Amino acid sequence: MNPSLKLLLLLLIALEISFTTIVSLNIALVLLAALYLLLKGTKFKTLGWLLIVPLLPAIGLWSTQYINGSGDKTLMAWVLFTRIYAFVFTGATFTLTTNILQLADALEQNWHLPSKFAYGVLAAYNLVPKIQHEVQIIRAAGLMRGQQLSFWSPQLYFKAILVSINWSQNLAQAMASHGYVEDAPRTHYRQVRLRLRDWLILGLGLSCLQLGVFVIPWR
Amino acid sequence: MATIALNNLTFTYPQAVAPTLQHVSLTFTSGHFTLLTGPSGTGKSTLLKLMTGLLPLDDPAAIQYDQVNLSAIDQTDRAAKVAMLFQNPNQQFAMDTVENELVFALENRQVDPTQMAARITAALDFVGISALRQRKLLHLSGGEKQKVALAVIVAMDSDVILLDEPFASVDPTARASLLRRLVQLRDKAGKTIILADHDLTDYQALVDDVVKVTPARNIVPVTVAQRPALFQAFEQRVSTTTTWPQPTSGQPAFKLHQLALTQGQHQLLQPTDLTLFQQHVTLITGPNGSGKSTFFEALVRLHAYQGRISYAGQDIQRLKRRAYARQVALLFQDAETQFLNITVQEELAQSQKHAAGTYFTTARIQQALAQLNLAGRDEQVIYTLSEGQKKKLQILLMLIMQPPVLLMDEPLKGLDLASINALVQLLQTTLAATQQTLVIISHQLTGLTPLIDYHLHFDQQQLRYQGVPHES
Amino acid sequence: MKWAKSWTLSDVILIALIGIFFGAIFMGTNYLYDVLTAALTPFGLAGLANELLLGIWCMPGMLAGYMLRLKGSATLGELLAAVVEMFFGGQWGAATLISGVLQGFGSELGYIITRYKHYDWLGLTASALTTTIVTFGWDLAKNGYLKLQLWLLVLYLVVRFISMFVFGGVLTRLITDLLDRSHVLKSTHTN
Ligand SMILES: Nc1ncnc2c1ncn2[C@@H]1O[C@H](COP(=O)(O)OP(=O)(O)OP(=O)(O)O)[C@@H](O)[C@H]1O
Ligand SMILES: Nc1ncnc2c1ncn2[C@@H]1O[C@H](COP(=O)(O)OP(=O)(O)OP(=O)(O)O)[C@@H](O)[C@H]1O
Ligand SMILES: [Mg+2]
Ligand SMILES: [Mg+2]
Repeated sequence: MNPSLKLLLLLLIALEISFTTIVSLNIALVLLAALYLLLKGTKFKTLGWLLIVPLLPAIGLWSTQYINGSGDKTLMAWVLFTRIYAFVFTGATFTLTTNILQLADALEQNWHLPSKFAYGVLAAYNLVPKIQHEVQIIRAAGLMRGQQLSFWSPQLYFKAILVSINWSQNLAQAMASHGYVEDAPRTHYRQVRLRLRDWLILGLGLSCLQLGVFVIPWR
Repeated sequence: MATIALNNLTFTYPQAVAPTLQHVSLTFTSGHFTLLTGPSGTGKSTLLKLMTGLLPLDDPAAIQYDQVNLSAIDQTDRAAKVAMLFQNPNQQFAMDTVENELVFALENRQVDPTQMAARITAALDFVGISALRQRKLLHLSGGEKQKVALAVIVAMDSDVILLDEPFASVDPTARASLLRRLVQLRDKAGKTIILADHDLTDYQALVDDVVKVTPARNIVPVTVAQRPALFQAFEQRVSTTTTWPQPTSGQPAFKLHQLALTQGQHQLLQPTDLTLFQQHVTLITGPNGSGKSTFFEALVRLHAYQGRISYAGQDIQRLKRRAYARQVALLFQDAETQFLNITVQEELAQSQKHAAGTYFTTARIQQALAQLNLAGRDEQVIYTLSEGQKKKLQILLMLIMQPPVLLMDEPLKGLDLASINALVQLLQTTLAATQQTLVIISHQLTGLTPLIDYHLHFDQQQLRYQGVPHES
Repeated sequence: MKWAKSWTLSDVILIALIGIFFGAIFMGTNYLYDVLTAALTPFGLAGLANELLLGIWCMPGMLAGYMLRLKGSATLGELLAAVVEMFFGGQWGAATLISGVLQGFGSELGYIITRYKHYDWLGLTASALTTTIVTFGWDLAKNGYLKLQLWLLVLYLVVRFISMFVFGGVLTRLITDLLDRSHVLKSTHTN
């Protein structure tokens, strides 16, 4: 499916379930998403991981409602508990099967997102591992000067921004030298199509969701 | 094919007081390989950026390609005329893999998608890196990244290729191979090549023209008669290697037990047993990319390793980070990494406040500042200092901290000879009083030799003491 | 698309990088979040951990808005940080994006109502306030806050505002003061 429409569908689902209080719908979404992931060859281990990671916040939300809620505390507690899992599993159907490059291609080609946004973010994204290392270096350098840089120290962010400024200028120049011109037309090697089929899946998905929300009365 | 003319080119950075380049008039001949030299900070990178159109010009006629003003060439066509290969291989790519980067460049050039695969294959073949096609750029070595950058330029088929110290992080083999491709590009494809470098080794037989930046901020050709003198300095530098004795016994600072280092898939060091000695100065040399900086990062726990490193008898993984950082400090390759404040005065005060020893009194600091020609800059913002000044300040700050062990990564980078001598003198007097342990990575040995006790060489995944072995 | 024209490629890369850097720094606070959540769960106050630390997660947007002073910089700063987070280790999927947009727009709103003229404490406070309100509105639905007892809601709201003000206001101001004094932002810090 076209990555941009897939994301749109998932955004709409996430939005809608944020305003509904149907436990069974949340569970159905989790099951559907898990099934989809399995069909796409996702490992059981990954699915297990998806079950464990949100457990703490899910319990936190559950207990908040159960102890300090008003109205039907038990229902709301379970709604929130399952809602977290619905977010995580539907989200995973996107992040585990689509990469940022595919999304950028679709947004650029199908929705005419100015390419500087697509490639600017991609260039930065590809530096993520380097950035994680750089944060360690900044911290270590601080310790060697006798200063602990914690997440509330302005200097830590200041240093990070200095590095960002430096790298952003280098990257922008390098891209210019690779022929990139802002707002200039480009050709596309990886063609991303927006087919009728994609729209149909989007429509179908949304319709099913409405059935689950409004028509089928199971709670 | 393109001839480039500089017509009375003058350029001043927006915030700078004096121009970086002044009244430069020069012609680069089409199909020639030109070497651009000059001391650090004189404007080589600035010139190349101007020629690529990355910096704005006041006078549009100051740079012309085949009699056409650079600014008049449509931006989208510029890449067909001129492309640049940068000094730092790490921030040169927008995409994740080699192939995707090439695709990105060809898309920018609006190449027909059906022709792209063939052009990419040809470019990779030409540079000899077909095997890297699907690799992640992040996992490549510096030399490999520079080859990819060259392949991008080959694929874009730019007439003029500008290279800004392209070999700064490249080992000798990769350097030789890249140079061979450049010569081929000139001879077979008629490309015009302009390359800036400090290290002039190997160029004599390859280049057609040599130009240099003068103290008057001009750029002038170096005549054929003057060239041997220029190049000879580099041939000599290679042959004058001093030897130091191998260490015999002493108090160990670090003990390495079966230490092995990797970067990604790349093995840098085979399992090695080694001792680094206290209260001595050990020099580490080795080609670019051999893993010297990575070794230092391992010593200060910024890089994972196999085997064991112990400091003063204890496994460094067992020590508290904070306490360990006060024992073993690293002088980073990039001076700015070490700064935490804004003005020179603030930095000095911070170091003095947290110093591990008391050697650097206010009077001694003032004296050292004078010695390093940094006096009177107390209120200056450190980020406006020149690279050389930053380096000297960085070293002074770490000396004031007085950690028992100081690891220095390229402390002489970007310094002129006067600064080096002043610095070495400061180090000598300081060490005599503080008995600190120093380990220094340096390519440049001029001026440094009086300081050194032992010499380690890092090459071919081996880290070994050099020099005459003592009776054992 | 006039707003898109005033952004340069290096601006886009810069705020994406800042978002990632901040994200990498915040990763270190995850354990804090976990410990707090676990400790507060038995009292039904787990949300308090979220309220206390939310200001940190809204920092990229608030800082980008204050630092770059371009229309849309707060929204884009937070959105780009969210995009990267979604693909790199974020488990919350599309919900991350929705939160990102709302947080960013919340911060932007503070500058909109001060007409992009108050890059001072007024603007920062307004931004902290609007970020609090907008994100709180979203949590009324998403995290079921609507169904909580009133005293708890008020407590959460106050704590959230304090967090926004401390991290997005005070800390942002301290950081940008350092940047101003360092003279490195001259080129982008005008207009
Ligand atoms: N953006 C800038 N603003 C102000 N001054 C600058 C800027 N960039 C460089 N300079 C100054 O211009 C001078 C020339 O710098 P340039 O980078 O061109 O030197 P270089 O010859 O390439 O040096 P190196 O060999 O060290 O790379 C230096 O004094 C430098 O401090
Ligand atoms: N994050 C990284 N991922 C993969 N490879 C890396 C990374 N950082 C460095 N490398 C590679 O590891 C090798 C060793 O790098 P290192 O910086 O230790 O070399 P060096 O000996 O200090 O070189 P130089 O003399 O240029 O400073 C190089 O080939 C480099 O390209
Ligand atoms: Mg240079
Ligand atoms: Mg190094």
